[in-house]
Amino acid sequence: MHLFHIRHVFLTGLRKFPPVIYCWLLLCYPFSLVAKEAPTCSDASPVVFGILPFVSAEQLVIQFSPIAHYLSKNLQVPVRIETAPNFVEFARRTNENQRYDILFTAPHFYPQAHSQAGYRLIAGVDSPGMWAVIVAPRDSQIHELDDLLGKKLATVHPAGLATLLVRKHLTDAGIDPDVDLTMVSTPSHDASLLSSYHGVTDASALMQPPYAAASARVKENMRIIAKTESTPHIPISVSPRISESCAAEIAELLLQMATSTEGKAALSHNSFSGFKQASPEAYEKISDLLSQ
Amino acid sequence: MMLYNSPLFHSLRFRLIASIVSIEIIMLSLLVWNNISIIHSTHTDRLRDTATSMIQQIANSSGNYMVAVDYATLKDYLSNIISYKELSYIVVVDRDDNTVIALGTVTPEDRAAIDLHPAQVHDGVYDIAQEIKVADQPMGRVLMGFSLSLMDDAINASRNRGITIALIEIILTITVTIFIGLGLTRRLAMLSKAAAEVEAGNYSVSVPTETDDEVGKTAMAFNNMVAEVSKRTRQLLLEEKRTQQLLSENRLLIQKSLEVQEEERKHLARELHDELGQCITAIQADAESIRDLSPKNDQRVITSAEAILTVSAHIYDVVHSMMHLLRPSVLDNLGLVEALKDEIHAWNKRNPKTKCIHDFTGDLSDLGERTNITIYRIVQECLTNIVKYASATQVNIELNNDAENLHLTIDDDGIGMDKNASAHGMGLGLIGMRERIQALNGTFFYETSSGEGFRVFIHIPLAYSE
Repeated sequence: MHLFHIRHVFLTGLRKFPPVIYCWLLLCYPFSLVAKEAPTCSDASPVVFGILPFVSAEQLVIQFSPIAHYLSKNLQVPVRIETAPNFVEFARRTNENQRYDILFTAPHFYPQAHSQAGYRLIAGVDSPGMWAVIVAPRDSQIHELDDLLGKKLATVHPAGLATLLVRKHLTDAGIDPDVDLTMVSTPSHDASLLSSYHGVTDASALMQPPYAAASARVKENMRIIAKTESTPHIPISVSPRISESCAAEIAELLLQMATSTEGKAALSHNSFSGFKQASPEAYEKISDLLSQ
Repeated sequence: MMLYNSPLFHSLRFRLIASIVSIEIIMLSLLVWNNISIIHSTHTDRLRDTATSMIQQIANSSGNYMVAVDYATLKDYLSNIISYKELSYIVVVDRDDNTVIALGTVTPEDRAAIDLHPAQVHDGVYDIAQEIKVADQPMGRVLMGFSLSLMDDAINASRNRGITIALIEIILTITVTIFIGLGLTRRLAMLSKAAAEVEAGNYSVSVPTETDDEVGKTAMAFNNMVAEVSKRTRQLLLEEKRTQQLLSENRLLIQKSLEVQEEERKHLARELHDELGQCITAIQADAESIRDLSPKNDQRVITSAEAILTVSAHIYDVVHSMMHLLRPSVLDNLGLVEALKDEIHAWNKRNPKTKCIHDFTGDLSDLGERTNITIYRIVQECLTNIVKYASATQVNIELNNDAENLHLTIDDDGIGMDKNASAHGMGLGLIGMRERIQALNGTFFYETSSGEGFRVFIHIPLAYSE
């Protein structure tokens, strides 16, 4: 990319400056090729990679450190992973402080981040979509939604996408989540799943990717009784502090990850296969979930 | 040095007890020193382990908070920990080394040097650090300081307690050792005391033999030995007494025999003088009458009468000489001094190669017959011995007295006697002299050595003089 830029400057200069200057530039050109160009994202150093706390902080670090290292290496600036104690705090830091330079947040949080804090969408997780599942222990008597009546259903944070999708799904099925059953909030998707697995609650609601990533032993003893509607997958956006060129470079690196060995290795710690270009309009559709 | 010379230092009891007490004091001191070292090591190791455990736990627990930048919750969590009594401060720094939490006695700018071990701390605070990692990714660091004051107090308390216990133990040990030592050596002391009593001549002592151990056996042997010594001593005393009695009787007998001898000599001399002298005088008178009245001056008669006169004169000389030997008449007539002078004069005449010099001073006129004849006989015996054995050139005889004693000294410059020979035995002459002197309660002794002459010293109490 930088070679293209230098070539453009050179050709433009040929038309504007006298021959002496051309000769001087010709002499200097080889040195300009050798000289190291400053990183595009150097102004943002260190780049803070904010990730929604949808799993434990340690799990976040395990899953996203390879991607952070990949970005850091190619951007030539430090990239640091950060999260927040909970979804609300994460959203607050995003919207009020623009704390995160690269934002990896829930689909339903992006519209607010965009509108309130000026985050710009640069990519999305390359996946058909996301949905939540309601699962119950295989040896339980819960086989369908109606069996949840009067039962305790574990969910994530009330503002979590899984909670919102399940609430909408239950409401659409004629079940009032605030009356017909008891929704128990847990700190994470794993906690929600393990809650019913250990018998603390009768069923669990969580997003499908964390469920897919759960241990086989747990999944063998669980039964999926419902799937919610699908939403676009996780959006990747950047804060206004990130320049256009830096944003473009980050986007380019993310989009090309799945095509390189190094990128694939970085992605191997996650359940998704890569990143793709994303449309802001797709996320506007789920803003109503947030309003609920 | 004074202690070494002290009798106490040479006491077995003292040395035994002092040795045991010294060893015990040394061993207990080493034990206390070792305990103090262990206490110090234990406390410092305990603090190091506690600190390491705490900081690792905090670092592990802080990771999620650091990733989530949830410093408020982390601070709440650490605020509970900072109340730990030994903990001086907790500082948490982020990945940029900025202080995000500072609790305790520390300002955010303070960054003490990290200490390797509590034993190497110099500022009173054990400073340690631990990196905060999440999934091997650095998220910051925890810095903690542990005050050593509590540990030092605990060490001091333990040390003081240990020293106090050791001192009590030492005192108790010394007391018990002294008591046990005195008890164990009591019989030795009794044995020693009994030996001293025996040495002083008291053979009635007895040591208790209540046990069958070495000391008991020694005591039994001692008692048997003392009984045997006592028995032998009694026998010896009896023998000595008997010998003394015999000796006294012998001396008395000797004195008596000497007295009888002198009396007989005196009597014999008188008889010779009175009877034989008169007869010889009569014979001489008759011979002279026969010579003078011989008719016609018969030459044969005259010759015979002259022969009788000559023989009778010779007999008279012989008798006179015998009388003098038996009892010098001058002793009875003129006294001791004159008798001695006469004897010395005669001796000088008979022995012209030896010069006898005398020196008589003091009042020697009233010493009594026994003393006079004893002194006279001794001088006579000494001069005879000098002639026989001494080969002397000069003899000195001194006789004098003071208020209490009569002193006689006879010495010559002769060949003397070998000391060993003189020590082994006295000649009969010397024995006779000694017996004569002892009969007068006097003292007799002599000194001589080979080539050094011979000296006789005699002292007779005047109170004994008659």
